[in-house]
Amino acid sequence: MPLYPMLGRSVVLALAITGSSVGAATADVTIGVLTPLSGKGASYGQQQKNAIAMFLEKYGDIGGPAGKLQLVTYDTRGDNAEAINLTRKLIDSDQVLAIIGPQFSGEAEVSFPLAVRGQTPIITPMAAKAGITAANRPWAFRFALTTEKVYGPLLDAWLKKQAASKPIKDVVIFVDLKDAVSNYDAKTVFPPLLKERGIKVADTISFQTGDIDFSAQVTRAKSLEPDGVIVSSLFSEAAHVVDEMRKQGMNQPVVGAIGINHPRFITVGGTATEGVFAASDFFSENPKPEVAEWAAEFVKRFGDRPSNAAGEIYDTLYLMRECIKSTGVTGNNVKEDRVKLRDCWAGLKDAEAPLTGATSMDKNGDGTRIPTVLEVKDGKFTVVQ
Amino acid sequence: MFLQQLANGVMLGSTYALAAIGYTLIFGVLRLLHLAHGEVFMIGAFAGLQAALIWHFGPLLALIAGALGAAIVGVLIEVIAFRPIRRRGNSHLAPIVSTVGVGLVLQEVMTKLFGSEQIAFPSGLQKQVFDLGFMSVTGSQLFILGTAAVSMIALHQFVTHTRYGMAMRATSENIHVAAILGINVDAIILVTFAVASALAGVAGVLVGLNFNAISPFMGFDMGIKGMAIIVIGGLGSIYGAMAGGLILGIAEVLSVAYLASSFRDAFAFGLMVLILIIRPRGLFGTGIGTAR
Repeated sequence: MPLYPMLGRSVVLALAITGSSVGAATADVTIGVLTPLSGKGASYGQQQKNAIAMFLEKYGDIGGPAGKLQLVTYDTRGDNAEAINLTRKLIDSDQVLAIIGPQFSGEAEVSFPLAVRGQTPIITPMAAKAGITAANRPWAFRFALTTEKVYGPLLDAWLKKQAASKPIKDVVIFVDLKDAVSNYDAKTVFPPLLKERGIKVADTISFQTGDIDFSAQVTRAKSLEPDGVIVSSLFSEAAHVVDEMRKQGMNQPVVGAIGINHPRFITVGGTATEGVFAASDFFSENPKPEVAEWAAEFVKRFGDRPSNAAGEIYDTLYLMRECIKSTGVTGNNVKEDRVKLRDCWAGLKDAEAPLTGATSMDKNGDGTRIPTVLEVKDGKFTVVQ
Repeated sequence: MFLQQLANGVMLGSTYALAAIGYTLIFGVLRLLHLAHGEVFMIGAFAGLQAALIWHFGPLLALIAGALGAAIVGVLIEVIAFRPIRRRGNSHLAPIVSTVGVGLVLQEVMTKLFGSEQIAFPSGLQKQVFDLGFMSVTGSQLFILGTAAVSMIALHQFVTHTRYGMAMRATSENIHVAAILGINVDAIILVTFAVASALAGVAGVLVGLNFNAISPFMGFDMGIKGMAIIVIGGLGSIYGAMAGGLILGIAEVLSVAYLASSFRDAFAFGLMVLILIIRPRGLFGTGIGTAR
């Protein structure tokens, strides 16, 4: 073989080896984070930002060959198109090993296929619409519970309480058409669960995220005189609906879908929210010592009670860190590391996370754990016994 | 239920009407669409909110604070964004584009200052409910109706019985002849902006009081609806804006009540298109005075 090409090849090889060993000394494990810091869902996003800050302080150092945890955080503004662009950016140009996010089911639906094409594990901490992980196997996961796992126990607890005073025979469902998971819940998840329990749906009345005037919808619901009301929307609209209901003299008991799991539901809705039922796997008033301490620190530092969004992203990050430690990924071989992390997530069984307890991943990539049924009492979410 | 829905619609419609009146006043005098008027409405709401939070003003004083805040911003917009561009030439498009820019800037500034979330308006008005049997109204809804009625009557008096009002009507009929006849057209334009913005500010505070939700993005919606209303009512006609606002409010509420909320905007703008087809000059539009 002629000398020069051989020399050239050796030089290139030598450079490559030194290059990668230099890389090994300084490579940090990079994880992408997608969260709505502004626009729709900024409440959730800002809380997540605070939870991330707390997490990095406590757990940012992974130790061993993985070094420090590097997070690349992007603001999706709650916008599906933005989520698509940012997912692509994280996978291709930032070369992250995994992505945590996006927040909303609508965003997740459009981002997940990109992660599958890019062969990157993607875990949404909160999107709760059923089916989106199953459609994107094996790379997509969901930390939160899908809604049908939550509403069964929720409805049972609610009906049990109402049976003592006035049993529920029919309900009106208020739905936010613009929010993917609320829409899906009201149309697909609640009706069969209600039917199983012998309850009729008198009507499904709609509004949209961002609406402020609900007088028409509530008047229409009032004229139907239902026994109970289900509100399937995000916390702000739900708080206004409940407020409008009480203003117009509708005193029926109310059950909220998972969108209302946010302390601002009570701040915005005020006394109208008393007695509303909800279910969540994380709530800030949880008396368990780890949660109570964490929540107290959150309030002290950020002045705001932590919501589901904060608790779930904290625990998702925790489990991600556990996976990084157990698989020993270092960020040197992005493609292989992504596969390792994916398999770790798929195999999670009873993995303990500080705020939500033990989590397992089912075969669809959905998280399973036991939700807590809550009721708003004296301006706080309290556990229903 | 129908009467209650009608009442709901009238309440909603009166806030729309107040914002739309300002739109049509500015269009009448300048023949230009003030596309940042929705943001002026939003700033009025925030000004009222700050007054209520910082100085603990009651609803009435918050209204005045909102009107003043909006008026100041409105005049500033005229001086900074409208006037220099108007002077430059006869382009009808450039001032409108300038207002789009102003609107965006205002939105972003308010988002930086207050965050992009909906903020609750502290008020004690809402909780009293008056039950009339076939329908019920809350204290805040009556307040809205009262304020809107008083504002519109005051405006009517101003426009018909004061010298400034007459000068405004003259300017809107023909700006050049008015100038020749000795009217200080620049001053009148300032007054128009101040009055229009003050009304929008009042509408903003009313919306905040009644719906208890203020956000930096609330102006965008109002801006678009305002345009629909002035087209329905007739460009440049104040009474058209009042009627148009009520019609739009009632149409929206009834479509939500009897159809579904996804039809709400379709209905509102469908109505606008229908009216344009049947009566292009709008309900109260005169057909004259639009030619220059």
